[in-house]
Amino acid sequence: MKRFFINITLLIIISLSLQSCNSANGSSDSKLIYWCSNNSYEIQFAKELTEKWNKNNKDVSVKYQPVPEGRSSEEIILAAVVGKTTPDIYSNMWQGDVEVYAQAGVLIALDTIPGFLDFLAERCDSEVVEEIKSLDGHIYQIPWKINPIMLIYNEKMISDLGLSNPPKTYDEFFEASAKFQKDIDGDGYIDRWFGYSEVLVTWWQRFFDFYPLYLAASGGAPLVKENKAVFNNEYGVAVFKFLRTLYKKNYFSKEQLSARQDVFLSEIIATRFTGPWEIAHADKFKPKGFEYNFSCIPVPDDHKGPVYTYGDPKNIVIFKTCKKPQAAWEYVKTLIGRDGDLKLLQLTNQLPRRKNISTISFFSSYFEQNPKMKIFANQSKYVRGTDASSVLKEVFDLISQEYEACVIYGMKTPEQAVKDASDAVDLLFLK
Amino acid sequence: MVHFLMFVAFPVVFSVVLTFHKWNIIAPMEYTGLNNYILLFDDKIFLKSVGNTLIFLLIHIPLQIIIALFIAEILNQKIKLKGAFRGAFFLPVIVSGVVVTILWQQLYGFDTGLFNRLLTGIGLGKIGWLTDPDIAMASIAVMATWKNVGLYIILFLVGLQTVPTQYYEAADLEGANHWQKFFKITLPMINPTIFMVVILSTIGGFSLFIEPYIMTGGGPLNSTISAVLYIYKQGFFYYHMGYAATLGLFFAFIILAVVVVQKKFIEKDH
Repeated sequence: MKRFFINITLLIIISLSLQSCNSANGSSDSKLIYWCSNNSYEIQFAKELTEKWNKNNKDVSVKYQPVPEGRSSEEIILAAVVGKTTPDIYSNMWQGDVEVYAQAGVLIALDTIPGFLDFLAERCDSEVVEEIKSLDGHIYQIPWKINPIMLIYNEKMISDLGLSNPPKTYDEFFEASAKFQKDIDGDGYIDRWFGYSEVLVTWWQRFFDFYPLYLAASGGAPLVKENKAVFNNEYGVAVFKFLRTLYKKNYFSKEQLSARQDVFLSEIIATRFTGPWEIAHADKFKPKGFEYNFSCIPVPDDHKGPVYTYGDPKNIVIFKTCKKPQAAWEYVKTLIGRDGDLKLLQLTNQLPRRKNISTISFFSSYFEQNPKMKIFANQSKYVRGTDASSVLKEVFDLISQEYEACVIYGMKTPEQAVKDASDAVDLLFLK
Repeated sequence: MVHFLMFVAFPVVFSVVLTFHKWNIIAPMEYTGLNNYILLFDDKIFLKSVGNTLIFLLIHIPLQIIIALFIAEILNQKIKLKGAFRGAFFLPVIVSGVVVTILWQQLYGFDTGLFNRLLTGIGLGKIGWLTDPDIAMASIAVMATWKNVGLYIILFLVGLQTVPTQYYEAADLEGANHWQKFFKITLPMINPTIFMVVILSTIGGFSLFIEPYIMTGGGPLNSTISAVLYIYKQGFFYYHMGYAATLGLFFAFIILAVVVVQKKFIEKDH
């Protein structure tokens, strides 16, 4: 109770602070406010592109500013929406959050802006355009960047197992795991595992295990469609079975290893599901001689076709508080134009969500210099974001509850757990 | 008065109003009548979280009272370095709860934690202190006791020092042994202190949040999810403000009921 009221009070304080921030910004009809992420690379990105815009557009200037500090940018945006102090433009909006804001009527339907759909069709595949459509048929977000989840692996450890490539299928994964697991200190307990995934039940942890595996197995199928769960199928069950085996046979650790020294770099595990942010981290902290690479998410043995994964998309939105949506859109076009996308790659090592990015010659020199990013660029053709739903967090939470009961503790069969999660999601939509 | 209206009356009235609405902060409130109350009684995780909190209290309060009273009794004797011991026992109370929690998370680690290393060192098996659903809450209760016991030692010390020495002298003349003096004189005389410790521990225990939030996230299998953590999740993970307010109000009544029962029980005993 106490914390509840503290948080409400904090929310009010943040809203009031944002109100005063906006007043201090001197936001006016001729000035657009753009909130970017508050990491130094993205601030630099926003700075360079905004300066370029302001140089060429004297009528409508843009002021960029990092999203105000808070516990999470999500909370800050929420507070800004409540306080009606939203910026004109915000980048870094998690795709799964857009539907909530769209339904609340605080975002501009971008498909009503002349030229938007043509620009989008040129930038993105039709699948992506479909994916970002809201339930009311409008589009409220601009696909900006992705961080696909892939399998990072220790090259030496994989070759020591006699493998020339990392495991691609479930059976190959089990085989490699069995060979790799070890009781190093001889106390009767396994203390070297083939992989690790966070065991906490927190909903977003499933972006790093269940969800990419489900997308990989199903060829990018949705979890929910038209307010109904659609994951109670052979793929959902196969993924639960796969993960259950990993924990049951001790191929993955049930203990929280995240509080320790990096278990991948210290060679306690050989693989992990992760995104391209791992490159900068691994290159900075890896021990001498440590070599790593990336591969696709493992799939069922009979899988055919491309291997999809979760792309963790972050998109750009324009809030209804914006008085010049057309000008805001023109500015956004500079952020996500080819020059902007290249700058994003160079400054932040994050992938723009642009079709055929790995084969466009304009970006080729970057990928030649960053060959590991090329792997993610190749994967980017086969990524999915999230389904359009205003209760997505609850959906992932319900899946996560069953995941824990079945995968970690084996208290339910995979079939039962997936069915229970599906029934609970259907009930959630009914409520 | 303004302070009372702004920070006490308004939040209470507003949260009661919220219980009859569905509200995710950004969209307008939607009146739902008693729906939130109906959902509450059907919410297995909330009921489990209340049960978990009561289990925590059942372990934490007796453990805390016994340890605090035992140490206070020792520190009340004529021993050397009494001041240093009092300071040492009080130290965890002033250390940040988050720091203590992270520290104990390391101690409880299955593979690298100190406790399991000690167990395997003497030839015993490892224990999943935080990963075994049957003992995770007990592990948290032990940690919370370690963190808070210093405060209650001080309270008991104050209580012990108010017991008139003549009673003990009279008991000595009657030939009473140490235990008889403790149970027949000390305990009845410090009953008001025990009552205060029970009430403070109960209220503190009901607000259990940081420990499960950081150490287990409420798992494994919701075995450590406390009522406050669950209310927080409903409010600030999912923005179910109306429902969170309903849970909060219901939980406040549970706390009130438990404290009233405790008060009556201890007063009757007294």
